[in-house]
Amino acid sequence: MSEKSVQARGICKSYKSLFGSAKTVLEGISLDIDREEIFGLLGPNGSGKTTLISIFSTLIYPEKGSLSILGLNARRDRGEIRKIINISTAKPNFPWSLTVRENLVHYGMLYGLYGLGLNRTVEDQIDAFELGEYRDVKFENLSTGLKQRLSLAKAMLNHPRLLFLDEPTTGLDPDMSAKTHDLIRRIHDEEGISVIMSTHYMPEAELLCDRIAFLRKGRVAALDTPQNLKNHLELGKSVKITYRGLANLDALRALEGVLAVRGNPGIVDGQIDRQLDILMDGNEDSLDRILKSFQDAKILDINIEEPDLEDVFLELAR
Amino acid sequence: MSWQGELNKYLASAYKNWVISKRNVFTLFELFFWPLVNLLSIGLLTRFLMVDESMVSFLLVGSIALTILQVAQMDVAYVLLFDMWSKSIKHTFIAPIRSRHLIFGSLFFGIMRGSVVFAILASISFYLFDFRFQAGGLIPPLIFLAGVFSMAAIIGITVCISILTFGQKADVAAWSLSGLILLFSGIYYPVDVLPFFLQVLARAIPLTYFLEYYRSIFIPGPHHLVVGLSLAALYLLLGLILFDRATRRARRTGILLWLSE
Repeated sequence: MSEKSVQARGICKSYKSLFGSAKTVLEGISLDIDREEIFGLLGPNGSGKTTLISIFSTLIYPEKGSLSILGLNARRDRGEIRKIINISTAKPNFPWSLTVRENLVHYGMLYGLYGLGLNRTVEDQIDAFELGEYRDVKFENLSTGLKQRLSLAKAMLNHPRLLFLDEPTTGLDPDMSAKTHDLIRRIHDEEGISVIMSTHYMPEAELLCDRIAFLRKGRVAALDTPQNLKNHLELGKSVKITYRGLANLDALRALEGVLAVRGNPGIVDGQIDRQLDILMDGNEDSLDRILKSFQDAKILDINIEEPDLEDVFLELAR
Repeated sequence: MSWQGELNKYLASAYKNWVISKRNVFTLFELFFWPLVNLLSIGLLTRFLMVDESMVSFLLVGSIALTILQVAQMDVAYVLLFDMWSKSIKHTFIAPIRSRHLIFGSLFFGIMRGSVVFAILASISFYLFDFRFQAGGLIPPLIFLAGVFSMAAIIGITVCISILTFGQKADVAAWSLSGLILLFSGIYYPVDVLPFFLQVLARAIPLTYFLEYYRSIFIPGPHHLVVGLSLAALYLLLGLILFDRATRRARRTGILLWLSE
């Protein structure tokens, strides 16, 4: 049996206001996350992702439930757990007037690094995250991307066995996001660090995560690999057909395997053509039946799209 | 963990406070401007009122004590205030440290800064107002400073507990607590002049006893240094316990998360 980075059973959390009213954020979350996987937490705003990561990283405590991190009891062995985990957060914040290097030195000291070991680790992280040029730049003067890199560098100071990434590419441009994805993949593949990340971006989750838990209103709405999530939800495929001539739309809608038909008139080469967006199930015969219904027309273009996680997200968030 | 690693966990807070302080122009005001304004105001007032030498010492001891107290207590409070203002508090509390690392590390830096301020004020007092801080030897001023620094730690811990309990609004406590101490612990007057119920309160503040002790060098009279030391030790212990409890509560209520967002 593979070692677990997280074993959570029945985790509940609510926040109480000063006047006693409580807002429930997590309701009975149970998860088993393997050491070797990159695990994703997805969900709409307010679904409890950040709270769950904060509980897993021992920053805050759950009200109910049991939690084990890397085989250690999260209630009894918090001190030990904090030595072997770390976190990088969305919109990272560190003391403003400390430079990149000073911030890394400060946090390195909090993790008990000292002397040459501290200096070497700080320099290694500056090199690994390409921060050399900015080592003497104060945090308040860094761009969003550089702050995010500093946050990742800080998270690697104690060589954690488990790394939590809370929306690691929020606010980054596409180029910087791609570099961050490479870094995460490298941290996981080359250094053998378990990664649990939350994200708003479906392509990012699809690209990086071995498994995904969709959170909705504080509960796990779905949990599986990205591919299985798409298959199990039976979201269907989108077939976009551009044609000239006649097609019986009513007959098309009635075909077995056709879930929906949307039409858009268009003009191609001065003649009136039509474009249809047909949503069909995953059955191969369905496509055959659809194409046969265009025998009196000339198909100019056809494009078949698999559902992506965005569709899964929208379906589950509904 | 090795002792060097453990030591660095303490020094991390001192390092952060040092770097932030050296880049902050207001540090110069905290270290030099306001202490000098305070000292000169009180010193010149004694000249105007033509008080005798012992009364000059009485007032200058109070002025110096208040200044050192304010400088050192702010350094202890800064350990969380800087994190709260920069919204980075979660990174501190995810690290494998305990409250004692934060408090004693920042107190160490506060003692350094407070000692510099004391040296400056004591020198100026000597040259301008003929106040001899070492009149009874070096031990009394060292005990007095230890008392003031322990009081600074107690106030600083109280501010940190307020931050962990009430969040953003609590930084008001950082600026106002030393004012209350000024009022009740006899900085500029003997506590005997206070109404009885405030005298009881004054007798519960360790600084009252440290002021009486140091002043007894210049104006011979009774003092209860042992009571002051005992109260300071008790409050420090209590403060650390309550700081731990406030941290646990902040983890339960989620304040640590909100302070980072």
